[in-house]
Amino acid sequence: MSSLTYRLLGVLLLGAVLALSTDAFLTVGNLLNVLRQASLIFLLASGLTLVILSAGLDLSIGANLGLSACMAAAAIKSTGSISIGIAAGLACGMTIGIANGLLITTLRLPPFIATYGMLWMVYGINYWAMAGNTIYGFPESFREIGSGYLLGIPIPVLLMAACLIVGSVFTRYTTWGHEIYAIGANPEVARLSGIPVRSRLIMVYTLSGVMSGLAGIVYLARLNSAEAGIGEPLLLPAIAAVLIGGTSLFGGVGSLSGALVGAVILTLVLNGMNLLTISGNWQPLITGVILLLAAGIDTAARNWNESRA
Amino acid sequence: MNIFIQNVRSTTAVVLMIFTASCAKPVDEGAGQTGGESIAVFTKNQTNPFFETVRLGAKNAAKQMNATVIQYIPTVQDSITEQLSEIEDAIIKRPGAVVFIPVNSRAMIPGIEKLNAANIPVVNITDRVLGGSVISFMGCDETNMALNTGRFLLQRLNGRGNVIILEGVGGSENSSNRVTGYRKALAEFPNVKLLASQPANFQRVQALQVTENLLQSYPQIDGILAANDSMALGAIEALDAARRNAFVVGLNGTKEAIDAIKAGKLLASGDCDGFRHGCLGTMAAVRHLRNLPVPKEFIFSVMVIDNTNYAGLDVPYEERMCPSWESVVKDK
Repeated sequence: MSSLTYRLLGVLLLGAVLALSTDAFLTVGNLLNVLRQASLIFLLASGLTLVILSAGLDLSIGANLGLSACMAAAAIKSTGSISIGIAAGLACGMTIGIANGLLITTLRLPPFIATYGMLWMVYGINYWAMAGNTIYGFPESFREIGSGYLLGIPIPVLLMAACLIVGSVFTRYTTWGHEIYAIGANPEVARLSGIPVRSRLIMVYTLSGVMSGLAGIVYLARLNSAEAGIGEPLLLPAIAAVLIGGTSLFGGVGSLSGALVGAVILTLVLNGMNLLTISGNWQPLITGVILLLAAGIDTAARNWNESRA
Repeated sequence: MNIFIQNVRSTTAVVLMIFTASCAKPVDEGAGQTGGESIAVFTKNQTNPFFETVRLGAKNAAKQMNATVIQYIPTVQDSITEQLSEIEDAIIKRPGAVVFIPVNSRAMIPGIEKLNAANIPVVNITDRVLGGSVISFMGCDETNMALNTGRFLLQRLNGRGNVIILEGVGGSENSSNRVTGYRKALAEFPNVKLLASQPANFQRVQALQVTENLLQSYPQIDGILAANDSMALGAIEALDAARRNAFVVGLNGTKEAIDAIKAGKLLASGDCDGFRHGCLGTMAAVRHLRNLPVPKEFIFSVMVIDNTNYAGLDVPYEERMCPSWESVVKDK
């Protein structure tokens, strides 16, 4: 069995427990609901996966989501054009990503520091520009990106699927993808074997920025409003989704499908607690226990698999 | 109006500040005025529009009274450590008086004690600090605000139906007072069933998700009582996407909430008016410095904003003027 199969064990076990405890869980409506909720975290986590595969880190993704959403919001409000809004959001995300890449490759700042500094700058700019205000009320056709359906499937879920497929093909079957793994495993060896480490790293942070921008647009379309601080609560869950999905913080090991598993586990915990109407006093404790259990099952299964090999 | 673009154009000085400072720097908003008292205003964060209205009220009152205002805002929202270090900064700068909203009612007691030790008078507004000594507390009874707003929704349901409560941050005093208020209202209507009371941390996106989840398990939800407007608006997005209908109320009376009331999406929002907190708190501080009387405690009246009475509030805060002290604070 592949390591992903073991990771799915956690999801399946959690799903089985929920299915046995409430009838509302195992319905097509609720499962699509869970996937739609997971999409936002996944979009952020997918770009971050590439960064972490290269043994880097991007702490600016939450702040980036916030600024991109506000930029897209401002652009739609002032031009009335949805495509300009989307372009503004993606361009904002990309710019922040490129800046991260340059800070890390040119100034040789550690990724943690570079992107942590970027986090503050991006929040700072956004807080100043928004001055505590909210931009809200967007055209129905734009909001379809967040709340619409195509062939019965929520559009954010389709976007997530598209990113998963494209991203998986990119990381598994293209030279660039392989190079990211190689850089993460050992940047020195990667450099000596002729991989253009610098430009690949810039690419990785740029992609992470673009994905944050995309997540910002989906957020905006889903919530119909943007304010400066919206990305703050999404940063840690996105990092957690990547790591729960088995991607190593040390680089070189992991996958995008793992990030999906991680995002779904995080979403299932909230979904389950709401369906079972667990009191707010207990929710943080239960979240912690379930996350540790999911990670524990994964580690145990992997150890068992390796001891047999 | 495009606030974003306006602000981008407004000034570059703040950008420089962002580049040079990683922690909060006071913003001097009274530049150009001299001779007036300087009042340091402490709010909780830059994200919640409520506190922006408090700051605008403070600025407006200071202008009316020919005083100046210095704003202290934590860069990490509601950060206890940051607000404490801002107090230390302020003590060095020695403002005439402080208008203070604690990020946490208990954790800020040492901060108030430091201001007391430095002999800087403190007017506590909005949320009560549970220690130290202050000239005045001017705030709102949050339980009562939620009780009135909850009652309004339950009356609209004719006293029957299924409702849910969206709670704020677990363990926070705001959230527990507001939820207590909603539960008191529910106790008056025995035929209304509370299906679930779940936390969404005052956040819009979480309220959206929690409501989506609850819509999955309950086929009939008639009312949603949210502990702030952001959550109420998140819940409305969830209802819209699921093509379901329910009466929704929030708290704080934000501009966005008033627009949603106008559009018929939000039933009502309970409001204690942050603008007035900023106005009256600053006025009280200046009055104290000018040896004018200030009540030891003042509780603002609560208003439930709905589609019959929003008109007077539907004005940009930038254009609003502080009410006169005498019109609000009646001598006993």
